[in-house]
Amino acid sequence: MTVFRPVMWCLVAATTAFGAADGAFAPLFNGKELSGWMMPTGKPPAFAVADGILETRVPNGSDIFTTAWYGNYVLRFEYLLSKVGNSGVLIRCDPKNPWGTGVEVQLLAPWTPHRDDLHCTGSLYGYVAVTNRPDETTGIWHRMEIRCDRNTVEVSVDGKLTTRADTLAVKALNAKLLSGAIGFQSNHSKQGEFAQFRKIELRDLDREPDYVLAGFSHADERFRVQAREAAVALGPVMIVPLVRTMEGESVMARSVARQALFDITAAASAPQADAAVRDAASRALREALDTKPSAPTAGYVTWLLGMLRK
Amino acid sequence: MMKTNIGRRNFLKQSGATLFYGALITRAQTPPSERIRVAHVGTGGMGGAHINAFSAMPDVETVALCDVDSTRLAASAQRLVQRKPTAKPQTYADYRRILERKDIDVVTCATPDHWHALVAIHAFEAGKDVYGEKPLSYSLREGQRMEQTQRRTGAVFQLGTQIHAGDNYHRVAEIIQSGVLGKIGTVRLWKTGGSRGFGFPANQRPPDTLDWNMWLGPAPYAEYTPVRCHGTFRYFFDYSGGVFADFWCHIADILFMSLQPEGLTTIDARGEVPGDGIADTPKWIDADFAFKGLNVHWTTKPPPVPGADKMSIGAHFEGEKGTLTCDYETRKIRIGKEVLDDLPNVPVTLPRSPGHHRNFLDAVKSRGVPESNLPYVRKMTLPMHLALASFRLKRKITWDSVKEEVVGDPAANYLLDRVNRNNVQVEP
Repeated sequence: MTVFRPVMWCLVAATTAFGAADGAFAPLFNGKELSGWMMPTGKPPAFAVADGILETRVPNGSDIFTTAWYGNYVLRFEYLLSKVGNSGVLIRCDPKNPWGTGVEVQLLAPWTPHRDDLHCTGSLYGYVAVTNRPDETTGIWHRMEIRCDRNTVEVSVDGKLTTRADTLAVKALNAKLLSGAIGFQSNHSKQGEFAQFRKIELRDLDREPDYVLAGFSHADERFRVQAREAAVALGPVMIVPLVRTMEGESVMARSVARQALFDITAAASAPQADAAVRDAASRALREALDTKPSAPTAGYVTWLLGMLRK
Repeated sequence: MMKTNIGRRNFLKQSGATLFYGALITRAQTPPSERIRVAHVGTGGMGGAHINAFSAMPDVETVALCDVDSTRLAASAQRLVQRKPTAKPQTYADYRRILERKDIDVVTCATPDHWHALVAIHAFEAGKDVYGEKPLSYSLREGQRMEQTQRRTGAVFQLGTQIHAGDNYHRVAEIIQSGVLGKIGTVRLWKTGGSRGFGFPANQRPPDTLDWNMWLGPAPYAEYTPVRCHGTFRYFFDYSGGVFADFWCHIADILFMSLQPEGLTTIDARGEVPGDGIADTPKWIDADFAFKGLNVHWTTKPPPVPGADKMSIGAHFEGEKGTLTCDYETRKIRIGKEVLDDLPNVPVTLPRSPGHHRNFLDAVKSRGVPESNLPYVRKMTLPMHLALASFRLKRKITWDSVKEEVVGDPAANYLLDRVNRNNVQVEP
């Protein structure tokens, strides 16, 4: 019984934070229209919405991208390919140069010529092959989940892991963006073929404080900077956890936390900043002092408080 | 104490005329009454250069050395005696003991930046003249306090911007001031290479030979790690402002020497902190300054102007009729398609310096105003502090150059000052 208690506590915490276990996921596609998405001009728009489904049928039309950029996340959706359907999911890309800056997770019907594991559904197209080839049956709905977790990218189809990539270990991936838009590639096979998507949902890991803090001691500098920027974007809510991190063992994490605290306070101190944000930052810094941190940390926090004085 | 020193200075001044001839005849044996007795605070880095430069002057007697690191202190004393066997320097761990000595005229200060203002202010109060190191002070407000104290005490101050004394800066200023390039509307300054982070070393016990608490002095308390201390302290905002603060004075000097820009109104800096270590000063910083009738741009990369890509530091003046690009030793004038090193028609109007240390010592004797005097260098350093505040806050700031205050941004004003750590007695 006692063995299970921490697990129970975790579940309770997760439930409280997100309302329900899956509440961490938010729809990226409302099933009605394309708000939050954009199709770059220059090619005919290839995507249309009908009955809660995002469909690409126009051959070689424009790809579609989220207007927001995401770094670390779990993306899940369902897809259905026609007999010769050919699409893909673009991750961490700049829509101006999607394949140059990002990576395509392939979605492809198993038509001839037979495509190998490096180019089939679930592969990081041309970079990382599937190790566990998914069910490629066309005409039925499949579930795909793509997890971008710093240098680890995982693809699952129908609940089974197909691909796992360490972006730091693949030279060509190492040079790609760490955050970017999420896109779907227009169907680019024959006339009459199509790809469909529904239930497109995202869990944005960079909005989760514990996930963000864990990035502070990542071995790669770029992911530490990404984590710091995520902490700053979260704002005053991060102040108390950041002060706690400054009291931790990791020199790396302490250093990132120190800078993040400065940046959050600086943003809150801006003349045009929301008064509520400024007050929240002041309150959080005082609350952090109440936790009786060590003298150097307390001195730093007290100094930061001075920045918020009117 | 003050009285005694001023008395000594007046004596030096009165004897100035005879000293000139005396020096010609008996250079190596300046009479004791005409010698300037110098003490050096901070003996590493530029401190060693100060000791060498001043001890080489015939009218200088190096009487005291001070360092919070006893290893450095002993080494500097040994080096001095090797160079000048007649020298008998007393050594000190606390500069305040030097200031108590009534027989010392000049104090040089080559401490880390966060000590600059305190050492100078305390020395002024004790009736000493000061040869300081750049940047002038850790904070903008300290610079103001230094100038106020200097004005009240009548001390002589020179900032160690020794490039100022060279012929090139004088010639550049003459060419710019001659108007031959027309009105200068834009000046670009740059210094390549930013601050690194220096890894993530664990804190450790300071060596027994280092008084870490005194080294920190007015700065916030921090656990010791060697990266924070000798040689790399300047890459921490707790003590300095990185490569930018290190080199601003050297290259902004030629801008201020040539154009005396006034009426600074806005400062807008951008950049990044390093991600590869505990140090936090700019990995790169670009800053735009709007002076009255003059835009100044600082960049970490050379600007896209001819020849700049081969210069690690430089200033580029853009006039209506031509441009001038220079660094410490070189200059290129471009008028139309012509590229020139000099314009012989521009007359030599600025008196040349006898050398930066000599110029200071002469001012000490004459009670005159040295070339890198405090009001001048304070004006020159001021935009640097504002750029660092803008960099840290990630926003443009507006400056009232009459009141010397940031307009409408209390946090920016807050960053221009720092309350000294109170467990070290730093007030006289």
